[in-house]
Amino acid sequence: MKFTYKPSPNYRNTQSTGGIMFDLTMCLCAVVLFSAVYYSIAYGFAYGLRVILMTLVSLIAAIGTEAVYFRMRGREVKKEILHSYGWVTALILTLITRLDVSYYALFVGTVVAIIIGKLVFGGFGQNIFNPAAFGEALIMNSFSASKSAQVTADVFSGATPMAAMNSNNWILSSSAMGNFIKGFGGWGGLLVGSYPSVIGGSCALLILLCGVYLLWRKDIDWHLSVTYLITVFCVSLVVGLIKGAGINYAIFNVISGGVLFGTVFMMTDPVTTPITIPGRMVFAVGCAALTLILRWKSNLPDGVLFSILLMNMLTPAIDKLVDGNQIKNQVQIRRKVVYTSIVVILAALGVGMTLDKVAAETPASSDAAAETSEPAGMALEDFSANEAGCRVYSNVDDTAYVYHCSAKGFEGTNKATITVDATKGTITSVEVTDFGDTTGVGDAATTADELKRYENATINSSIDATAGATYTSASIRAMAAKALNMAAGK
Amino acid sequence: MSILTGPMNHHLDGHKELTKHKDVLKTIDPDQVFIPLVNGNAPCNALVSVGDEVKVGTKIAERNDHFYVPLFSPVSGTVTGVEKFMTASMGQAQHLVIQNDHKHEAVRAFAPFDYETASWEELLDFVRNSGMVGLGGAGFPTYVKYLKPENVELFVVNAVECEPYLTADYKNIEENIGLLKTGTLALFKLSKAAKGCVAIKEDKVEQIEELKKAFAGTPIEIRTVPDLYPMGWERTLVYQLTKKRYDKLPIEAGCILNNASTAIALGNAIDNGMPITHKYVTVSGDALNNPQNVYVPVGTRASVIIDAVGGYKEGTENVLLIAGGPMMGKAIPNDKFVIMPQSNGLTVLNNKPKEEVKCLRCGRCTETCPSGLQPVRIAMSAAIFDEEEIMKLSVMDCIECGMCTWICPSKIDVTENVRRAKNFVRTRMAIRAKEAKK
Repeated sequence: MKFTYKPSPNYRNTQSTGGIMFDLTMCLCAVVLFSAVYYSIAYGFAYGLRVILMTLVSLIAAIGTEAVYFRMRGREVKKEILHSYGWVTALILTLITRLDVSYYALFVGTVVAIIIGKLVFGGFGQNIFNPAAFGEALIMNSFSASKSAQVTADVFSGATPMAAMNSNNWILSSSAMGNFIKGFGGWGGLLVGSYPSVIGGSCALLILLCGVYLLWRKDIDWHLSVTYLITVFCVSLVVGLIKGAGINYAIFNVISGGVLFGTVFMMTDPVTTPITIPGRMVFAVGCAALTLILRWKSNLPDGVLFSILLMNMLTPAIDKLVDGNQIKNQVQIRRKVVYTSIVVILAALGVGMTLDKVAAETPASSDAAAETSEPAGMALEDFSANEAGCRVYSNVDDTAYVYHCSAKGFEGTNKATITVDATKGTITSVEVTDFGDTTGVGDAATTADELKRYENATINSSIDATAGATYTSASIRAMAAKALNMAAGK
Repeated sequence: MSILTGPMNHHLDGHKELTKHKDVLKTIDPDQVFIPLVNGNAPCNALVSVGDEVKVGTKIAERNDHFYVPLFSPVSGTVTGVEKFMTASMGQAQHLVIQNDHKHEAVRAFAPFDYETASWEELLDFVRNSGMVGLGGAGFPTYVKYLKPENVELFVVNAVECEPYLTADYKNIEENIGLLKTGTLALFKLSKAAKGCVAIKEDKVEQIEELKKAFAGTPIEIRTVPDLYPMGWERTLVYQLTKKRYDKLPIEAGCILNNASTAIALGNAIDNGMPITHKYVTVSGDALNNPQNVYVPVGTRASVIIDAVGGYKEGTENVLLIAGGPMMGKAIPNDKFVIMPQSNGLTVLNNKPKEEVKCLRCGRCTETCPSGLQPVRIAMSAAIFDEEEIMKLSVMDCIECGMCTWICPSKIDVTENVRRAKNFVRTRMAIRAKEAKK
């Protein structure tokens, strides 16, 4: 009998790093599959397939890069790859990328994320930045032009909630907030993610489900995620209430954009976040404050990604800050956590106080005008049969809100881009982009001369139907009325 | 425990069902016993010489420095020599060899004693002279804890037994509940505590009932604690029972603790006049044919015990033979070591290879550390010899309970890294002390 010496203890938990990574991989795959199905149904099979292909490109780039790297370093390639978990980086990176990013950009982004983001620091466990966030930052900043125009046109015709909010300076009146959310399919739409966004970032429900699963499996720590969500919610709630956007504003801030995806899949990356629970809480509060500040004040699509990268840089400092014996130095550590959090939250609130509504005055005055003058013209018409709908395309410039509208005509659906001067409450231009009615009959109403009659029309203007094209005319009037009403905040 | 600290403990799969309901094997009677002449780190002086006849209960050695601990012969026979070899705590020590004549002749070591009528001083003397040491594993002289019992609020008999595999205390209590009562009440008197309790894990349902019955009508309460590791460690137990933390000794939090088997041993000394001669030892693990508890003389070799319980499973070639449980017990590289008074287990596990991967900084070791340390940061600082940082992380508070290694998903020997950090700091301190002398 051979008696071996091993230092105590000689007893081990069954949970392993490989197991944790397996669970994480399963969850990420679920999100990829959901996205593939969603894009197939919403935009066509080709786009569902594109989700899968992009995932594959990133996976190949990640694993290929690691294989070459470990080969060059003379390591045991298969073993090193299995313990480097590059595929997790690839999956996360794909999921935080927009669908219209080119395969080429994604490939380069992944390679750089793996090499510069991880391997040069000494590989898994040593990297400073979240590699996926690092890769996406590169794609966003260096490959913003490397996009498939076709995908951009088909999928990203309307603004994402983040972009739309950005063009509203991230603050709306309570009623406008309600309309805004309706524009994206209401809370249901936001939870299910039926709007274009990054590939995996939109289905809040699925991501929450993954989060609950990972927590149940004890794969991730709840302190960081929960603190982050609570801080985002509370800070935006206070700002929302003071600035008159209401509680919807806070809920919107939590469930849209990258907040949920970031907190479930990226901030829970233990390698790049502090080790202790107090440290993680400081990290979470800092990340939440930065997310909101970047959303409000930067021209980035969302604040989550860069808030994670910035806080990654502070991780060693936070670890140092809350060092010591967790029992004996408990009071000092708690004090440090509370004080740091208060300062950071106050800073975020301070920035929040400087938010100003875009065109806050003008829609109000046009409201007033609409109320004082008798409703007439289009305001009195019943367009319910046309089922007109408009989506904000741009509302940066008060004098030129651009809407993408559609409405039923005689036999098909007509689409138009309508520009509205929100300060005056008048139409600047109507441009029919898609004609779905009978050619040779209804198109009489879509000639340049006919459309010119809409210029400077208000909601109370009467615009006669084009002879012989009554239905098409009605659909255009319906879209015009809808756009005018939306611009007026109704 | 607060929202900022994590649980500081964890449930372990105890594998106690392997031995818990099996009878205790009491027939082991080795031809030779080897009494380690050591208590803690201090050597003991032999009081007998080669050729002397001894009986069960003959005083054969004593520790006599700043503490006093007598040792007694567990068998009758002849002293045949002194041998030096490795003990169950991995140190080298002299062992007094006694040839067993299998006659089991005994002398009553102590005169009849009534702890109820005796004065406090007499009781303390009795505990001191009967050689009571902490049988939970430390072997610390019991009487020392009771020298100045001031403002003691709670006296605790520790029957938690949180170490996986071990059921020796459980079986000992099961068979000797009367002695436990005597010993507990005597120690309670000695502690001058306001309240007394027996702390036991809540999953030992039957034994809790037994204890409640036995202690009915006495001031001793039976208090249950959750099935977590290391619930049996003094600090964790005191915190669980009183919500108090202390710096060095439990008496700072108004508590005195003793192990249940210590109380039983004292009960045996009071009622039967016999010192610690035999031990209940759990022999368990996945490499054994027939895991069970044994009742053996102190000084019995591990190899004798393992043979007696049926040996290793067929096909077993490479084992970890652990003196104690798998968490805190040490794997001894031979089977010649003997059962010491404070030994309570032999765990024999198949030596399975494990694959260690890189640390992912998950912080689980920090969250479960019962001392509130950050093992992973200690290891990182030790790797770069940053003594100042290691001290700031209060490395010396580590008791090597093994929680951090157990929980580590990357299968890193975290406890060993912390141990190395401790040794590094100790060495540095020793060097400085030497230089200061010059």
